[in-house]
Amino acid sequence: MKPAAGLRRSSVVFALIGALALMLALEVAHAAWRAPAEARRIAASAGLVRSLGLTDLALFTEARYARHPALADLHSAFQDNPMSFEHFPSGSFVPLPHALPASALGFSADEVSR
Amino acid sequence: MTPFLRRQRALADYTLAALARRRGKNLALVVIFSVIVFVVASAMLFSAALQREADLVLAEAPELIVQQLVLGRQDLIAETEIAKLTAIRGVTAAKGRLWGYFYDRISGANYTVMVPDDPAMMPEPGTVAVGEGIPRARGFTFAQAPLFLSRWPGELQKFAVARTFDSDSALVSSDLVLMAESDFRRFFEVPPGVYTDIAVSIRNPREIATIVEKATRAMPAARFVTRDDIARTYQKLFSWREGLLVALAGAAILAFAIFAAEKASGLSAEEAREIGVLKAIGWDSSDVIAMKLWEGALIAIGAFLIGTVAAYLHVFGTGAALFAPVLKGWSVIYPDFRLAPQIDGMQLTALFLITVVPYVAATLVPIWRAASADPDQIMR
Amino acid sequence: MISLQSVSKLYNEGRPNEVQALRDIDLEIAPRAVTVFKGPSGSGKTTLLSIVGCMARPSTGRVFVDGQMVSGLPEKFLTEQRRTTFGFVFQRFNLIRGLSVLENVMLPAVPLGPDHAALRRRALDRLEQLGLGAKADMKVEYLSGGETQRAAIARALINDARILIADEPTANLDTELTHRFLEIVAALRDEGRTVIMTSHDPRIWEADMVNAVIEMQDGRISGAFA
Ligand SMILES: Nc1ncnc2c1ncn2[C@@H]1O[C@H](COP(=O)(O)OP(=O)(O)O)[C@@H](O)[C@H]1O
Ligand SMILES: [Mg+2]
Repeated sequence: MKPAAGLRRSSVVFALIGALALMLALEVAHAAWRAPAEARRIAASAGLVRSLGLTDLALFTEARYARHPALADLHSAFQDNPMSFEHFPSGSFVPLPHALPASALGFSADEVSR
Repeated sequence: MTPFLRRQRALADYTLAALARRRGKNLALVVIFSVIVFVVASAMLFSAALQREADLVLAEAPELIVQQLVLGRQDLIAETEIAKLTAIRGVTAAKGRLWGYFYDRISGANYTVMVPDDPAMMPEPGTVAVGEGIPRARGFTFAQAPLFLSRWPGELQKFAVARTFDSDSALVSSDLVLMAESDFRRFFEVPPGVYTDIAVSIRNPREIATIVEKATRAMPAARFVTRDDIARTYQKLFSWREGLLVALAGAAILAFAIFAAEKASGLSAEEAREIGVLKAIGWDSSDVIAMKLWEGALIAIGAFLIGTVAAYLHVFGTGAALFAPVLKGWSVIYPDFRLAPQIDGMQLTALFLITVVPYVAATLVPIWRAASADPDQIMR
Repeated sequence: MISLQSVSKLYNEGRPNEVQALRDIDLEIAPRAVTVFKGPSGSGKTTLLSIVGCMARPSTGRVFVDGQMVSGLPEKFLTEQRRTTFGFVFQRFNLIRGLSVLENVMLPAVPLGPDHAALRRRALDRLEQLGLGAKADMKVEYLSGGETQRAAIARALINDARILIADEPTANLDTELTHRFLEIVAALRDEGRTVIMTSHDPRIWEADMVNAVIEMQDGRISGAFA
């Protein structure tokens, strides 16, 4: 960052900040420029949602109750297995029993660690 | 340039020269600050964009879904229930839906199997339409590869893939397998006359409460899921997951605050002396404060810009590559989706306020006393 | 012209560790001349300079600079006096470490917001004149004692101060450098500036170019020589 003769530190830093601000402006412009295409894509997805009667995003496919949280029972997170990857905050406070043999989980320990 | 601007620029020059003395430490500070802004901004952009996609799904989802409950679990619902629902005034249509989950032992993935309601979407018997995640999960190597489904070892059913949904709709269709009704009933041994649940369309959304009330009387054992319930569930889900990120970011911000306070408030004896020198040679308290303001502002605005610019590239350029593992969890199928890029001015402003302002304040507060102290100590 | 009327200075007033650094001083300092304060350590020379230079206020008494009373004026005004009328060469020079000589020299001009290129030119000219042109971009902590002193003089003069105040400027200099310093001071006086300094160095108060020597003892003036 050693300024060359005649080049002020503030010039260098202002130029950097200006360049960053310009990039942010470009990103805003990019978002605006993409908007019509994205609106078309979203409208197409919306059509699919309507004709299939979908209720949820296909984001959480690890277990069936996680797949359609909108249609699961309120407490279905606990319904399958005490180790279930549930989405309730309270679950983080309940540790596994110490004396639980690996086989009691229904799958092996290294499968869990995977 | 006016003298005012020239003075400001000269103050910025001084503060930069002073910062350059501990270049490593101050660059590290900017980097840490930028990383924090990056994480918070990424979380904000990502969840806003995801929320937008979820909103669209909810907007087009059925107004009311009726499920049969047996011992607290969902069960198949009889076709005869449909007539009870259509009899209610205000219900435009009630349709039995056939759908369910299929755990594919070969790939270890969960699919959502569905019979489309729309005849235009209905695959020919013996064929399926699949989401983009399924060929990936199964490792299909050629375009016309058929889909074999097996419910138990030894059983194998072949379906021709008539259509694959492209990744434009991956976020809603990634794990779907669409089948003809006859295939669905045969393969999953669903007897005729029953459905998974019933989707009800309602003419006027304001009548939903009354309709649910009437329907509850007609079908006491059923569970009714309205679009409002869905929205509420989603709100909880999103706010809990976002809350996790916010908690993480909060911890990071706290750590940073301690770091910044340590740096800023522990105004070293040397720095206090330098301020005395500046005052002695004719700097006003306001000059000293403006100089410090420049220090805080240049660091904080620089870090804010670096963090947000990078966050946009991260979320919309790489598809939030750093968050994907968290969302993915143990899923085998994770949609290959792009989010619609958007920057919300309000969010950006809020981010600016929670990052830049506290930092600038933290650099300014300790300087106040030093800036108003008498300069004659430095004569000795 | 600077005049002091019955000026006293108390440190830690009203507390057990109260110190009376100056007692009832009446004094006139001639303009466009070199005035030297001498006296033992602790006699109040530095305190006097800091009051003359608008760095501290007297506890009682009045101070006039060019006929204007400066004691008792608000801080903002004192700052402006320090910035425009006075140039300071501190006993320990007090250059800002880590900054270059040129950056240090330009510092007192920052609040005035002058044109950067012109200021830089002016600073380089002054450094050139003081034989420091080649060291302009060097960090101040690498300068020798004599160079540090000349850098401090250049900084004191950047705003074209009429009055230069120097506290023990030759304390750590050898004879040759002391002579060099006295030459610089003589040149400044010939430019029409007022120079006020303290020293307990006989090489200074015996020098020909010094116009007045004022002796201090225990916060009082004990003698004056022209
Ligand atoms: N801030 C201060 N608080 C208390 N006493 C001080 C302070 N500054 C100077 N003094 C005292 O005032 C007296 C005069 O000091 P000074 O003006 O520095 O003398 P000189 O420069 O002649 O050595 C000394 O006794 C010194 O200890
Ligand atoms: Mg002294």
